[in-house]
Amino acid sequence: MTTPDSAPQRHARYDLVVTIVWVLTFIGTRAFLDHDLQQRLQLAGWIRFLVALVPVLPAALFLRAVIRGIARMDELHRRVHLEALVFAYPLAILLLMTLGLLQLAVDLPVEDWSYRHVWIYLPLFYLGGLALAWRRYR
Amino acid sequence: MKNALRLLRAERDWTQAELAERLDVSRQTVNAVETEKYEPSLSLAFKIARLFGRSIEEIFDPG
Repeated sequence: MTTPDSAPQRHARYDLVVTIVWVLTFIGTRAFLDHDLQQRLQLAGWIRFLVALVPVLPAALFLRAVIRGIARMDELHRRVHLEALVFAYPLAILLLMTLGLLQLAVDLPVEDWSYRHVWIYLPLFYLGGLALAWRRYR
Repeated sequence: MKNALRLLRAERDWTQAELAERLDVSRQTVNAVETEKYEPSLSLAFKIARLFGRSIEEIFDPG
C-alpha cells in the first residue's frame, strides 16, 4: 500500500514540473525563433509573435510557484530571500543603467547584448545574493 | 543577542531537527538562532519560550 504524498512533496513535484515546462518552452521557442530557421520557414510575423509569447504562461506559473514557495518558508529562509533580493535588485539596475549608457557611447553588438542575453544576469544576481546571504547564517 | 537555546535543547536531549519540528521551522533556523547569527522574530521567541516553559527573558539576553 502506498502512503499519500505529503503537502511538501506535492509542492516540490508541482514546482519541478512547472520549472521543467518553463525551461523546455523557453529553449524550444528560442530554437524555433532562430534566425536561420526563420529564413527557411518564412513564417508570418504574427505567428512568430505568438510563438515568442509561448513561454510567458509557464514563466508566470513558475513565478507563482516561487512566490508560494517563499510564503511557505520559515522566517530565516524568507529573510535570506529578502537579502538576496536586496543584493540582486540594485545590481540589476546598475547593469541596465551601465548598458544603457554604453549603448549611447559605443556600438554594443546586439548579438551579445540584447534582452535575451541580459535577462539571464538577473537570476544569476539573485543566486549570488542567496549564496552571500546564506553565508551569514550558516 | 545571547540565548540559552542550545543548553535547553541539550537538557531535553533533542537534536536540532527535533527542536525544529516542534517549532515548525527549519533545522537551519534553529542552528542560526543557537549560534546567535540570527535573532528570531517575537512570535518565534514566544514559541520557544512556551515550548521550554520559560519566559523570553530567561532564554534571550539582549546583553
